Amino acid sequence: MNESLLDILCCPLDKHDLELEDAEYDDDDVVGGELVCTECGEAYPIEDGIPNLLPPDMREETPA
Amino acid sequence: MAEDRNRARDRTESRDEGTRRADVRDTYDRIADHFASTREYAWPEVEAFVETHASDGTGVGLDLGCGNCRHAELLAADLESVVGLDVSRGLLETGHARALERGFAVDLIQGDAAALPLATDSIDVAVYVATLHHLPTRTARTASLDELARVLSPGGRALVSAWSTAHDKFEETEGFDTTIEWTLPGGETVDRFYHIYAPDEFEAELAGSTLECCEVELSSGNCYATVTATGSNA
Repeated sequence: MNESLLDILCCPLDKHDLELEDAEYDDDDVVGGELVCTECGEAYPIEDGIPNLLPPDMREETPA
Repeated sequence: MAEDRNRARDRTESRDEGTRRADVRDTYDRIADHFASTREYAWPEVEAFVETHASDGTGVGLDLGCGNCRHAELLAADLESVVGLDVSRGLLETGHARALERGFAVDLIQGDAAALPLATDSIDVAVYVATLHHLPTRTARTASLDELARVLSPGGRALVSAWSTAHDKFEETEGFDTTIEWTLPGGETVDRFYHIYAPDEFEAELAGSTLECCEVELSSGNCYATVTATGSNA
């Protein structure tokens, strides 16, 4: 994920800004870390460079 | 009274809304690789739209329900940057692979079309193609159209398409919910949810959203609408 993408990303629930936390980089790419909503505090994981911004009720792992 | 009925319906639908949308995610995660391998070429209707609305090399594009990013690839050629959003992580991986192979840039996001993680007015050109009909409830489908209107910049344009009863495959004239099997190479079948739109129903759903219709057409059994955000001056 390119860090400049943060300019247009927002929390899917309340549409407030997101802050990048615990970022892991590979050159200029953000490959890990979390995007945290500055309003509701919901944290969205960055998984292998792709932010998972599904609403929390759709994010849960598939039951076996 | 109609509003009461709508509220009652909304309550019933919202109970398992998240679960049903997660089911769509799981389905496409299962079939992602095979599905993507059969989706090589961009649709001509999308090519025509991109040619008309994204030709000056500026602006931000969105491929909503991007799958393997075949349409993000078209947008990338004509815009400054492109976001590819899909509910399925498996499909996003196929999009990532295609972008690497063909050397185009796309910012991938896993997300829900009915709850977009994108800022208001952030998108100049969007394609929302063959995705709306996979959202399992009318509430989710209408929410996704309102979300598209929210993220479109003033003067921004989007192309929305959905499968329709006008296709030869269907005898029905009213819109309906169904499942259509996807057959994997080993013969295993996976059911996929579809809401098949009657053309007038498709138009009514757009009219009921905060999108404004510029042009609607039927092509190859699909309804297409070129839309902009309501109140947009351009």
